[in-house]
Amino acid sequence: MKSRASFPRVLGRILTYVLAILIALWILAPIYLIGVSAFGEKLSAYTYPRPFWPAPFTIETMSFFLKSGGVIKSVQSSVIVAMITLVLSTLIGAPAGYTIARFIFSGRDAFRLIVVSTRSFPIVILSIPLAVTFIEWGMYDSVYSLALMHTALALPFTILITSSVFASIPRDLEEAAQTLGCSQLEAFLRISLPLALPGLAAATLFTFVLSWNEVFAAVILTVRNRTLPALVLTVLSESQLPYRFAGGFFMMVPSLIFMLFIRRYLLNLWGRVTK
Amino acid sequence: MNKLLVKVLVLMVSISLFAAACQPQVTQPPKEVQVIVTQIVEVAPPVVDYGDIVWLSTQLRPVQEAEKVRGVILDKFPGNVEFIPEDEGPFHDRITAEVQANQGTVDVLGALHGNFSTMGPKDQLQDLTALRSSLADRGIPDAFWDVAQLNTDKTYYVPWMQATYILAINKKALEYLPAGADVNALTYDDLMAWAKNIKDTTGDAKFGFPAGESGLLHRFFQGFLVPSFSGGVVTTFASDDAAQGWQWLKDFWPYVNPQSTTYNFMQEQLLNEEVWIAWDHTARLKDAFEALPDDFLAVPVPAGPKGRAFMPVIAGLAIPVTSTNQAGAEALIAYLTEPQIQVTTLREVGFFPIVAVDYPGYVSPGIKLEGEAVTLQAGAPDALPALLPQGLADKGGDFNKVFRDTFTSIVLNGEDINTVLDEQKVILQSIMDATGAPCWSPDPDSVGKACQVK
Repeated sequence: MKSRASFPRVLGRILTYVLAILIALWILAPIYLIGVSAFGEKLSAYTYPRPFWPAPFTIETMSFFLKSGGVIKSVQSSVIVAMITLVLSTLIGAPAGYTIARFIFSGRDAFRLIVVSTRSFPIVILSIPLAVTFIEWGMYDSVYSLALMHTALALPFTILITSSVFASIPRDLEEAAQTLGCSQLEAFLRISLPLALPGLAAATLFTFVLSWNEVFAAVILTVRNRTLPALVLTVLSESQLPYRFAGGFFMMVPSLIFMLFIRRYLLNLWGRVTK
Repeated sequence: MNKLLVKVLVLMVSISLFAAACQPQVTQPPKEVQVIVTQIVEVAPPVVDYGDIVWLSTQLRPVQEAEKVRGVILDKFPGNVEFIPEDEGPFHDRITAEVQANQGTVDVLGALHGNFSTMGPKDQLQDLTALRSSLADRGIPDAFWDVAQLNTDKTYYVPWMQATYILAINKKALEYLPAGADVNALTYDDLMAWAKNIKDTTGDAKFGFPAGESGLLHRFFQGFLVPSFSGGVVTTFASDDAAQGWQWLKDFWPYVNPQSTTYNFMQEQLLNEEVWIAWDHTARLKDAFEALPDDFLAVPVPAGPKGRAFMPVIAGLAIPVTSTNQAGAEALIAYLTEPQIQVTTLREVGFFPIVAVDYPGYVSPGIKLEGEAVTLQAGAPDALPALLPQGLADKGGDFNKVFRDTFTSIVLNGEDINTVLDEQKVILQSIMDATGAPCWSPDPDSVGKACQVK
């Protein structure tokens, strides 16, 4: 009786695991294959089917890629730009999101719409005026001005995500805190903010990935101080396969590391607070 | 001790006095002494440093080529050159923006004739006539200089390097070569029989064209297929001879790998053996020859009824009007056109010299293969050079589209050849009229008037 009752459960469990493994493979297999080709011998990148082990293992392609003109410097630029973007867009976006979530004011919906509509401008048609303005204002070819641009690009996402995060935190909690002697600010800092952290982490993750992968503004607004994607992305598509794998692998790893680092905040995806 | 010293001194002095007294008093005639003065004067060249120079280029973009430019080609240049490869879109946008803002960061531009031909008319490029006369000793052919004038009396760029398109062949394909065909002097009929033979025997279509989005297939129509069959490009666009060329391609297509519409750089499909025979730009075949020089052959393109038409590609160097380092920019251009550097460029990145040079003893086996094919092709008795489109300004893309659309309609969609050619002829003529572009080789000279489709 006991075993019969547990059979569907075991089956369910097995199915869950199989499904989980399949989904994991769906994501990990390409990453793994890119890694294999990035660390394999040059010619092995052309063999088909792809080898499942980098034999012989070599860092020749990878080190050539890393040593090639400006890669290291561009990684620094990318990190600086991404970090500034992350900080700025959180500092500006989170209060905006909180305001939309907590306060009812006239034009709230219009504001929401306007925020999203900024994303509907194709940046391609803005490129030349944007570059001209940046040159005239003396902000051209600098990682700091690029970070401003990325902040502008990231803000709509940050505002929308954080507003839904704050909206999902019951207002009663803040009010309860206020009845117990907290000021409004204290209630926010001690109650809402800790509860909102996972959602804010998700927002920063999006911001980071957006800035890390953004090519177009980075290409047009910088010449010598390029971010990694601006430096290598268009160039890689024309390079030999082994370098493409090396470059792809290298571009992917920082994002993965960042995600691993921030993963525990993501367990409750934005807005769903289970604690 | 002191006594001994005094004695020795006295002895030495008396001996020397005695010796002097005994010298025979002979007056010698004055001797003429030839004095050879060997003085090494260090003539150190004045230490020149051209400072920081930003060189933006749509050429030599792949990582490995860009590294060769930075590490080898620019090695001896007295200045700090920052070589920045860039896509054509941002390349034009950036220069447009810098010229509009009248403030530049870029000093030298490296690009194809087609890029410069849209920038010249927008006053984005300096007139380099003075630099041209200072480079007179380089031996750059006048034909190239003429092209660089973009139909004006100014010189907009300095020819830098050239390339062309050839056939790359996996040696495995040779056993299917039809009897009597010379692999170094193929005709379009030979190629058809060969590809058919391979398909019939192995069951696979082993010929490849770069018909993908960023492939250069349109150049095959403009510089190879149409002129080989019709002897012209624009004037003969809708002629019966040109129709025969398109018919050839239509008949040939079943032997072409159907994945060709996704191919951009044929070296990849050659290396993974998806195809055995491919037509492409020398720079886009180079990796195959370099990686496996023993497995591949480089041969001239096939000949049609009107000759062995091929398209030489010319890249040039220009200076934008907003350059901030004029002396450095000019020095860099002069440096890159030095014969020695041209040879280095060939050896390192596989673009062929634009100036008269002695080919070096050492080039890598892959480059050597290509170089021999290029020489053979250019020197073939039936060679028919078909230049890149000229004078089309920003209509170059539209011009390419005419040929791409013609191909899609005729070959991929199977539409009637003459109908398609008559339709596209109208568009082609409107492009020529809009730009007023005179005919270019191999079309007969239109004496300054817009080229007319017959």
